Amino acid sequence: MTKSAILEVKEGKTRQAVNSFLKDLFAKNVVEAMLVPLAHPSGTNVVQALISDPSHVDQADVFAPVMPVNSAKILQAMTRLTPVDRKTAIVIRPCEMRAVVELIKLKQIQPANLLFISIDCPGAYSTKDYPKFAAEKKTSDDFVKAGFRWAEDAQLRAGCQICEYPYPLTADITIGMLGLEPGQLLLIADTPRGEEALKTAGFTLETDSATAQKRQAALARFVPEVKERRKKFFEKTKEEIGGIEKLTQVFATCIKCQNCRAACPVCYCRECVFVSPTFELESEKYMRQAVKKGGIRMPADTLLFHLTRMNHMANSCVGCSACEEACPNDIPLLKIFQLTGAEVQELFDYVPGRNVEEPLPAAAFLEKEFQEMGEKK
Amino acid sequence: MQEKQKAVLVIGAGVGGIRASLDLAESGHKVYLTDRSPGIGGALYQLDKWFPDNQCELCKLLPVFSRDECSQFCLRRDLMHPNIELMPYATVTRFSGEPGNFEATVNIKSRWVVEDKCTACDLCAQVCPIEVADEFERGQQKRKAIYVRNPQAIPNVYTIDREDCNQCGKCVEICPTKAVVLNMPDETRELSVGAVVVSVGSTEFDGKSMQQYGFGRYANVLSNIQLERQLASAGPTGGELKRPSDGKTPKKIAILQCVGSRDWERNYCSEVCCMYALKEAMMLRDRYPDADVTIFYMDIRAFGKDYYRFHLQAKEMGVKFARSRVSRIRENPKTKDLYLLARDESGKSIGDTYDMVVLSLAQCPSPYLNELSKTLGLATNEWGFIETPGFHLTHTSRPGVYVSGSASGPSDICETVIKASAAAGEAAGILAGTQSKAEEIKPAHDHKTITDEEAKIAIFICQCGNEISSVVDIDKTRDYVKKLKNVVLVDDMGFLCQTNELDRVKETVQKSGANRVIMAACAPYHYHRLFSKTLAEAGIGAAQWQLVNFREQLAWVHKESKILATRKAQKMVEMAVERLRTQEPLKTTSVKVTQSGLVIGGGISGMTSALELASRGYDVTLVEKTGELGGHSRNLFYDLSPLDPQTLVEDTIRKVQNNPHIKVMLNSELASITGHAGNFRSEIQTADSKTELVKHGAVIIASGAAEYQPTEHMFGRDQRVITQHELQKRLAEGKLGKPETVVMIQCVGSRNAAHSYCNRTCCSEAVANALKIKELSPETHVFVLNRDIMTYGFRERYFTKAREAGVLFHRFEQEKEPEVKTSEKAITITWPDPALPGSLEIDADLLVLSTGYVAEGNEKIAGMLSLPLTEDGFFKEVDVKFRPVDAVLDGIFITGLASAPRNLNERVLQAQAAAQRAANVLSRETLTSGMVVSEVDKRRCSACGLCVEACPFDARYLDADEHYAVVREELCQGCGACVAVCPNDAAKLRSQKDKQVFSMIEAVI
Repeated sequence: MTKSAILEVKEGKTRQAVNSFLKDLFAKNVVEAMLVPLAHPSGTNVVQALISDPSHVDQADVFAPVMPVNSAKILQAMTRLTPVDRKTAIVIRPCEMRAVVELIKLKQIQPANLLFISIDCPGAYSTKDYPKFAAEKKTSDDFVKAGFRWAEDAQLRAGCQICEYPYPLTADITIGMLGLEPGQLLLIADTPRGEEALKTAGFTLETDSATAQKRQAALARFVPEVKERRKKFFEKTKEEIGGIEKLTQVFATCIKCQNCRAACPVCYCRECVFVSPTFELESEKYMRQAVKKGGIRMPADTLLFHLTRMNHMANSCVGCSACEEACPNDIPLLKIFQLTGAEVQELFDYVPGRNVEEPLPAAAFLEKEFQEMGEKK
Repeated sequence: MQEKQKAVLVIGAGVGGIRASLDLAESGHKVYLTDRSPGIGGALYQLDKWFPDNQCELCKLLPVFSRDECSQFCLRRDLMHPNIELMPYATVTRFSGEPGNFEATVNIKSRWVVEDKCTACDLCAQVCPIEVADEFERGQQKRKAIYVRNPQAIPNVYTIDREDCNQCGKCVEICPTKAVVLNMPDETRELSVGAVVVSVGSTEFDGKSMQQYGFGRYANVLSNIQLERQLASAGPTGGELKRPSDGKTPKKIAILQCVGSRDWERNYCSEVCCMYALKEAMMLRDRYPDADVTIFYMDIRAFGKDYYRFHLQAKEMGVKFARSRVSRIRENPKTKDLYLLARDESGKSIGDTYDMVVLSLAQCPSPYLNELSKTLGLATNEWGFIETPGFHLTHTSRPGVYVSGSASGPSDICETVIKASAAAGEAAGILAGTQSKAEEIKPAHDHKTITDEEAKIAIFICQCGNEISSVVDIDKTRDYVKKLKNVVLVDDMGFLCQTNELDRVKETVQKSGANRVIMAACAPYHYHRLFSKTLAEAGIGAAQWQLVNFREQLAWVHKESKILATRKAQKMVEMAVERLRTQEPLKTTSVKVTQSGLVIGGGISGMTSALELASRGYDVTLVEKTGELGGHSRNLFYDLSPLDPQTLVEDTIRKVQNNPHIKVMLNSELASITGHAGNFRSEIQTADSKTELVKHGAVIIASGAAEYQPTEHMFGRDQRVITQHELQKRLAEGKLGKPETVVMIQCVGSRNAAHSYCNRTCCSEAVANALKIKELSPETHVFVLNRDIMTYGFRERYFTKAREAGVLFHRFEQEKEPEVKTSEKAITITWPDPALPGSLEIDADLLVLSTGYVAEGNEKIAGMLSLPLTEDGFFKEVDVKFRPVDAVLDGIFITGLASAPRNLNERVLQAQAAAQRAANVLSRETLTSGMVVSEVDKRRCSACGLCVEACPFDARYLDADEHYAVVREELCQGCGACVAVCPNDAAKLRSQKDKQVFSMIEAVI
């Protein structure tokens, strides 16, 4: 059962329509603040901003194909110690929303007073590529008009091309677009809180409207498509990087800058063990290894760093490709982590970000789990 | 009057004896634990795996508090507690005195081997020329005249069986430590004890005496113990099932139930065999998926908690069931295959050929029990088990002497463990006042501070005669480790375990000023205690020394290459050096205990628990939600015994009401409870709607269950359809009259999809009521329609009596339940009896439904305490066998119907056990943590809470502001689950920190 209202888009101006909706939220006092992507004055980026003045909403560009930071990271910084004290809308992409759910489970985000608004996401370009897109005088409206082209647009971020859930799984309000006629957006209330917000903002909600059903039908078509696409992608990835030898090659260019860790929304530790005293070793330890093996790669433990990270967050990897974006040397981290993540998640029948009530596999105790690692299901 | 003795004598060191001893030791009493066998463990060590998950898990018997006091090794390897003195190979020869003051003379048989000197190297057995059948393996392999009872026996020393020994002296000659002394005299000990617990177990029925099954004549007819030994990995076939006739793996196996029980001679049910047959059948199906396994049985008596599910699981696993008593087995003399002559219920022949037959031999009294009973002055019953008069199943005919386990009748592990704790409680009750506080045992703390001094490591390498030095190059090892950082001296000795060598170690350590020590010797369970004591005397604390296992992990497994073995030896020591170099001080922490209890529920279970605790001097608050004490037991008028339940109930109520230590709160309920073992705070909502705060150190949940309200068989729609409880009441009040026909239907609302458990009590109740009807009105026809009759143990007698009295027992199948129609004239019951063609139809005046109990209201208490419930809504225990009254969180105990349906005397027993377990907490002034516990690096902790979720002991929580995790050290068991789940090393385990472990890994790779 979907409760939704149609948001009309005039003359293909999606951005304007969305912004007028966001403004309504301020005007009707649904929220007092908003975390929302605003176009940077330079025109070369669209960045998250926490605004309290409704006039800033004019700069909002929710569908702009760029996502410099996964916003879950921002919310962690904002709410880990205390929840926000005023009603705040959080306008984010589905992959950000999924990461938020993971961080809520990990007690890194306190969701009190937050109204989550997410979108049917057409994808994003790399932050490096976005200025090129902007330079060609293209706008988010043009991008939306071109439709959902995850499979075809090779410029899209790797994660977007194989995204399994480009639609929100748990937002309060979804700005829906999948399967709809141009000129229409759907405001879907996914939670009672979302419903109340939309009503207060002046929308009349319809249950299972024809438009909503259209979107549902599109989703139903989409699922098998993406499954197939991901399957092929994983097969190819396995060929490219499968096995320790190829994996070592992939990480050949790693400089252990740990940008991937810093960018990853679900790498939530306050202090990574790899920068902690645990890995501060006396010179003799390095020397001993060097003597033993004849020589070791420096900085030490480069591969161990990635494997440890994989071990820690494979279950929660939402596939946002923030890690790959952050890598200065273009290591295909998304491929590696999605491949591993998908397999591990399947093993635990776990979808990160699917449901905030669903316990993390590491925190769940089942009497009958696999007896031993590697045992067949 | 003489002063009471503080010690307890426990006779028999099987599971019951071990449980009773640990309980007594934990609550601060000195225990002498004797066993007539040269090693402890009893039948327990013969079995590898058991119900419910076919794992071992024997370690669950070990104490959880002050755990450094006792061994935390595998319980098959050692049992150590400072309050327990093990006395194997010992028999009680004289016994006298009164409760509180007994004198026992114990004869400790000489092994002809000096225990302190024997290193269990096996050289003696290798030269011994005499071979005899190995009793432990039930004759399936040979042993020598000098032998160990079982691999890794406790104590792990050799014994000469004087019956077999020809005194040739070869063992004396070869023994490298001169441990063998032929004709060494026995020792006699005079013990003054306050109470005695007899837990000598039972023996299996002599299968040979049932000639029709050919046991002992037909090679492929095995006893259940022989099968267990074959399936044990350390057994005679290395865990493989083999036909003794040709060594082939049998494909078709029959298991025969009730061999030596439920017959004219032994008119009792052996109680345990159905469950172990199910277990064995499942293990066979699991190990050999192609195996065809059939159990031949009369009733599958899976009556205990979750037993019925186990039965269903066996069915699911493809175990076949044939309701038939096999009349005879014939062996094909050529193939040695076995032909079973058997007929099913309807009389049809189901005879077939099997590759192997396993006999479920009944539990019979131990052959030595007769003599022991005479020595102790205990009455025995008609079969020779110890008689337990009265409602208390641990009471013998002699006050002050208590019984546990199968010495008083067939018992499985779960019942034995409950009986053992209850018996320990009775014994401790006698001693009450002599020792109400646990003896403070000071763990060897770090004598020299670790942090202040630079590590100076002394290394001692044991050659173990020639055992280690023949595989490891001692010189090369010494040279290598001498050069390692912080090593100040290396020494090697012939036998590190011998007293003179240990004196040398002590002296050397003291002279050299070493502050850390490495002992490169054998597995920790052999000499850890001895080494620990010696080193403590030399000023080396627990954190300051390391044991390296050269014998088992090196010498025994790397005989093929001295070079590689030596390399490994060097590396093993190097790892230990790294560990000690990076070792930090270890300490224990303590929290004060509120030494009083809370009991929830004022039924027979709650009252019994409260009385037990009060008898030990603890104040108890007893909370009952209704306006009166007694619970369901008030409605019990007959049981399968000559005793009157109401006298017990009334007596118990009176005692509770008059006990100054017990505060009874009627019409009251638990409103909230917080806290942990040792310190709980509960709010009790009282009759006048006020809340009262109670502080207590332990809580016993005895909140009962509800009677099942049937919807089946016209109940509630026809006055003539009643429950067994109602019938019993009418019988007691003399209101039954003289009905012509009474029909009873069993398993109403149990053993079905909605309630997948056996109610345990209803068959006994039905038989008791049927007997009562026949007594009052012999001409009344009584029919009992049943699926299996669960008159386990000595209840079987009454089942026989009922049949003799003319009560007719008819079976029905679950899928074909009796149909009930009522008319004015009669109630008509129709059903197909599998033994007869077509359907039967009876017109009855009265239809009685056996309804039993269902869980009720447990969610509320479970929710407050975060306790799990079973699928049937009863409280779940840590382990259904080894800790059957312990809730999953420490300091919380479960008893009575809140745990599962049980008969009245069993509820009393279980309540006593729960009280004893609670007393283990309450007897301490403080709860002391182990030295190896987890800790939190606050700076790194992200307060994600994963460790809190992962901790099975509730030993972690997030601080009030949720900025970091905090450890409750006294509850932490050092399991490391938190460490495994913490991504950034903010959760650490003392003595196992990442940095330390990395150092060790670095050293070895």
